[in-house]
Amino acid sequence: MTLALVGGTHRTVPLALRERLAFTAEQAAEALGRFRDRFPGREGVLLSTCNRVEFYAAGERGAAPPPPDQLVSFLAECRGIDATSLGPLLSREHDEAVARHLFGVAAGLDSMVLGEPQILAQVKQAWAIAQDSHTSGPLTAGMFQAALRAAKRVATETALGRERVSIPSVAVADFARGVFERFEDKRVLLVGAGKMAAETLRYLRDAGAQDVVIVNRTAARARDLAARLDVTPAPFSDLEHQLASADLVVSTTGASDHVVPLELFLRAEDHREGRPLVVLDLAVPRDFDPRIGGRPGVWLYCVDDLAAACAANRRSRQREMPQAVAIIDEETRRFMGDMHHRSTAPVIEQLLAGWSETGDAELDRLYRRLPHLAEADRTEIRQAFERYAAKMLHPPLTSLRNESRSGPPHGLLDALRRLFNLPE
Amino acid sequence: MAAFLSGISIVCFAASYAVALACEASRLVFRSGVRGFVMVGFAAAGLFAHTLFLIWRAVDAGTAPLSSPFDWYLLAAWLLAVGSLYLTVTNPKTPVGLFLLPIVLALVGAATLASREPFLNDSASRFWGRIHGGFHLVWSVSVVLGAIAGLMWLIQAGRLTRKAAPLRGFRMPSLERLAHVTARTPAIAAWAAAAGFVSGIVLNAVNHRRGLIETVPWSDPVVLRMAAVVAWLIIAERIAATVRRRPDGARTTAWLALLSLAALAASIAWGVLGATRHGKPPAAVVLTATVHEAEA
Repeated sequence: MTLALVGGTHRTVPLALRERLAFTAEQAAEALGRFRDRFPGREGVLLSTCNRVEFYAAGERGAAPPPPDQLVSFLAECRGIDATSLGPLLSREHDEAVARHLFGVAAGLDSMVLGEPQILAQVKQAWAIAQDSHTSGPLTAGMFQAALRAAKRVATETALGRERVSIPSVAVADFARGVFERFEDKRVLLVGAGKMAAETLRYLRDAGAQDVVIVNRTAARARDLAARLDVTPAPFSDLEHQLASADLVVSTTGASDHVVPLELFLRAEDHREGRPLVVLDLAVPRDFDPRIGGRPGVWLYCVDDLAAACAANRRSRQREMPQAVAIIDEETRRFMGDMHHRSTAPVIEQLLAGWSETGDAELDRLYRRLPHLAEADRTEIRQAFERYAAKMLHPPLTSLRNESRSGPPHGLLDALRRLFNLPE
Repeated sequence: MAAFLSGISIVCFAASYAVALACEASRLVFRSGVRGFVMVGFAAAGLFAHTLFLIWRAVDAGTAPLSSPFDWYLLAAWLLAVGSLYLTVTNPKTPVGLFLLPIVLALVGAATLASREPFLNDSASRFWGRIHGGFHLVWSVSVVLGAIAGLMWLIQAGRLTRKAAPLRGFRMPSLERLAHVTARTPAIAAWAAAAGFVSGIVLNAVNHRRGLIETVPWSDPVVLRMAAVVAWLIIAERIAATVRRRPDGARTTAWLALLSLAALAASIAWGVLGATRHGKPPAAVVLTATVHEAEA
């Protein structure tokens, strides 16, 4: 075994336990330091996000990665959790399955929201912490580099992460941006401040929105929310006037009836001078009278409209899965081929050293017999010997490389050792 | 070099534009990482050949752009091809070429049917002829751009009304941006068309006063049709200005832009296929040239 993985995700570990198992960046660095001391010569990378905690270990040539049970105990010890309760919840993988899993994770195939791109940055950060903690070596470096390459290929060769799947992101990117070119000169009106208002506002701010006003039935609450969200408060009685001057409305009150009935909107409409208005009615029950959506120049979207678009995008992402999995498979095969070929390095080194030693001995003998040879002639003869050795060794080394692609070439290595009497 | 330039034919750049258009259309069918490069490559190659062709026309025939109906159509197509390539490069996710390239190809097609005979070549006629042709070029290109923006506005508004997510690889510009274009082109088109019409009258009057046989009769269908088109463009501009501050103003302006394009298309079809003296060299000059040739 060269690669090992122990870890749990949102699918296998309950949230309460995941919270206790999670590592901050500092805690991860500390844990890796402890790993280095306890398992010298092994490599380790700890990936900890809100949805997963995974420990990747690697080692070779007499320093194989620790057995899975030891890794589970190690993780439990680091976070002060009982290993017997944690053990059954964590999955264990080794060798090819580890690489395949990591590549899928980096590409977002194992994420709660399929194809979400944040995980790639988290994978990079985990590897960077391991490098800083000196627990990343050639094996994990190769594997994480290959994981980043696989993720990049999935991102560019498929549309897995392109369609948005959260209601606020779809509302802003697919609909508000379809109406408005820029948001720097637009007035955003928040009516109420439900949970989705803050997230929608975040997307709008990313798009450039600066002029944001909030109205709430309770003036004190409006002031609190305004301070928290860094927006301008306005009295609820001013709603009609605010509707007249707004370009985009995000409504998320908990009211049981329409907060903006048609009559109120028609009064505001007279003062809008024909400017288009986007309304994201994210409240349930709805805050805006649906008839308002039929007014010219008004683009009204309720939660159901946006949820339908999100679902369509999710289905679209799912359709990309076979292509993404094919890329992960291809990259895994490529990486494992490199890994297996790497394991042949000691035998190749011994073989080359043996041939070189024999060649040097024969050359010395030849030069002693022919002392009259000029230096240039000696060089020519030495180069001919080297070329001969390289040509003779080329076929077996090529066979080794080819064999590595389909798995560890144990048979060939054993044959080489026996044929050329190489030490184990 | 001259042999190379003279070897460039209309088919060269028309075929390149057609391939670029096919690439654009394939966005609707499948996704590809290299399509953008292929599309821009063919559009750029077509534009390069088109440019060389126009240069060769100017050098070889000693005629500047706008010196014949044939050159006028090719220059209008060249301007739109430049716009198409620029917008495709700056907005790679927007299928601008899908809308602009068919019009480019239509203008190239119209050029093949149009007369290659140069207009009058004396200084006064040349001056007014270029002003006349230049203004026609401006209003025609404005109408095409306005109509394309209007069509895109209607498609985008339809998508937003249906509350559907954008098609992958087929992202339209925002309504705000499209409305910005459709709101400005009617005024440009109306003023340029009016100026083109007036300069045409002056050109005809100059030719007439100089004792040449009548160039374009005042009752020529093209004169009457152009008067109607100018009237329509002025009316469309006035309507667009009136509805600008209404909630449905952008939609109305988009439809007006499409109607203006229909007027332009009818005008071109009439010019190419109809019986008219417009755009043809005056009879007197032709007769004189024939006599000189016979004497030589």
